[in-house]
Amino acid sequence: MRSEIVVVGAGPAGLQAALSAAEAGAEVTLVDNYRQAGGQYYRQPAPEFGDIEPLDHQAEGRRLWQQAAQAGLKLLTETTVWGAFEGHQLALDGPNGPDTLQAQALILATGTYERVAAFPGWTLPGVMTTGAAQTLLKEQRIVPGERVVVAGTGPLQLVTAAALVRAGVRVVAVIEGSPVMRRMWRRPFRHMAALWNQGERLAEGLSSWLTLKRAAVPIHIGWGVTTAHGPEQLTAVTIAQLNDRWRPLPYTSRTLSCDTLCYGYGFTPATELARLLGAELHWRPEQGGFVPIRDERMQSSVPGLFIVGDGAGVGGAGLARLEGRVAGLSAAAQVMGKAVDAALPSLAAEQRFQRFYGDLFTPGPGLDELARPDTIICRCEEVTLADIRAVIEQGADTLMAVKQLTRCGMGNCQGRICGPLAAAQLARQTDQAPAQIGQFSVRPPIFPLPMPTAEAVDLADLPTIPDEHR
Amino acid sequence: MRIETTQNRPVTITIDGESVQAYPGETIAGALLARGQRAWRKTGQGHKRGLFCGMGICFDCTVTVNGCPNVRACLTPVADGMVISSEEADS
Repeated sequence: MRSEIVVVGAGPAGLQAALSAAEAGAEVTLVDNYRQAGGQYYRQPAPEFGDIEPLDHQAEGRRLWQQAAQAGLKLLTETTVWGAFEGHQLALDGPNGPDTLQAQALILATGTYERVAAFPGWTLPGVMTTGAAQTLLKEQRIVPGERVVVAGTGPLQLVTAAALVRAGVRVVAVIEGSPVMRRMWRRPFRHMAALWNQGERLAEGLSSWLTLKRAAVPIHIGWGVTTAHGPEQLTAVTIAQLNDRWRPLPYTSRTLSCDTLCYGYGFTPATELARLLGAELHWRPEQGGFVPIRDERMQSSVPGLFIVGDGAGVGGAGLARLEGRVAGLSAAAQVMGKAVDAALPSLAAEQRFQRFYGDLFTPGPGLDELARPDTIICRCEEVTLADIRAVIEQGADTLMAVKQLTRCGMGNCQGRICGPLAAAQLARQTDQAPAQIGQFSVRPPIFPLPMPTAEAVDLADLPTIPDEHR
Repeated sequence: MRIETTQNRPVTITIDGESVQAYPGETIAGALLARGQRAWRKTGQGHKRGLFCGMGICFDCTVTVNGCPNVRACLTPVADGMVISSEEADS
């Protein structure tokens, strides 16, 4: 298949990019892994549920998708993009089997995964990401447990805890890690510029906070979960107050009985496709880690490759949509070879909020110190911290060496969960900067493929960009 | 736990030999959690796992569906007559 513009990912950034490019007159194909457009933020109820009352941002997402559909773009759902090759060529696997898709200009809007912490007990059944609970609720109207602790950092925890309360769940406590947030009220004016014009976000935060307060849910700010207790499934968590470096303070710990822990410490941008295509990245911990370098049109270091939304640096749905519009219009102008008659929006206000969010919700080093020697770092291959330390002591000083010697990152998740955890441990143990450590290398297929697909595709026909050029 | 019952008629799926009712639109993971089951996959070292990332990234929730191994329970919708096994199929 071919298309003038291909957009990967149908969340806020991708939907808006596809809509803007299609409205500008370009031929657009939008590809998404899930059953329906929307991504995580606009995640829609399962189609079988029919016309049920929308939650959160579902109505806004539906409107955006309807607009995009009317603009005449092609949507491929349940389609995994598992490789990206020389000349903006993508390898797909979808309902109609394997295929390739050739783009003149490519817009990546691949979003993020949640950043987790590896503390003792984090692999117990009943411990899950906050996003997992939110998705169940939005898509299926199912809640994950009866007595739930919500922990981590950022607005997602507060919003999800409130949604669970509204769904009738007993939320035992909300634990927000940010020590900065605890003392925000001391310097209110510093934050006012960032919150100017953020009425909708403030209203959502306030309404969540009120819901929790009315339900008498304790909110601990500047605290974190240090241990999850089993033995076979989650029965309790231990929490402790954190210092400014996010290290638990001695003698503050207490234990909360619960059957479910939902947690998340921010988001890691999904940059696999960008890296396969050779885009240059830089280390921006306040935006989630390694993010692509872009110009003001959202174009990466690779001509014709645009990257937008949280997957290019965590900044929220508002910024994602604005970036999507900039990239959609710019890519359309590029493929049509003429100026597009629409003004590019200003990103300044949303970027101010992005910096404010980064100041508040970027975890400190204490988060990487919670694992004990027998704590698992790589869930797929069951590699412990002790296993990783042992090979570092034997001289492994790169992620590749740690991977080869321990199998950390070789499982089905391909290092998406353990990658940032292993990198942080390696940085600590060898006194290297995270920017120097880098990430696990990425190779197609970037997701496990069914055997029939793998057999149908000859990778030799697809020109891979060599490692030294990416 | 289900918070909203749809008008849909339930379907029947089989989980490790046991018949379970689920609603169209639910994923396998959703149907398992709705009946209070949190753990299903058994790791190589014998530890139980269930839903973790909920978005198809971590592969911790995989099950064998109608004989096909490594199917993500968090992404796969239930279908009437589906046979699900938490044991890994020989592949």
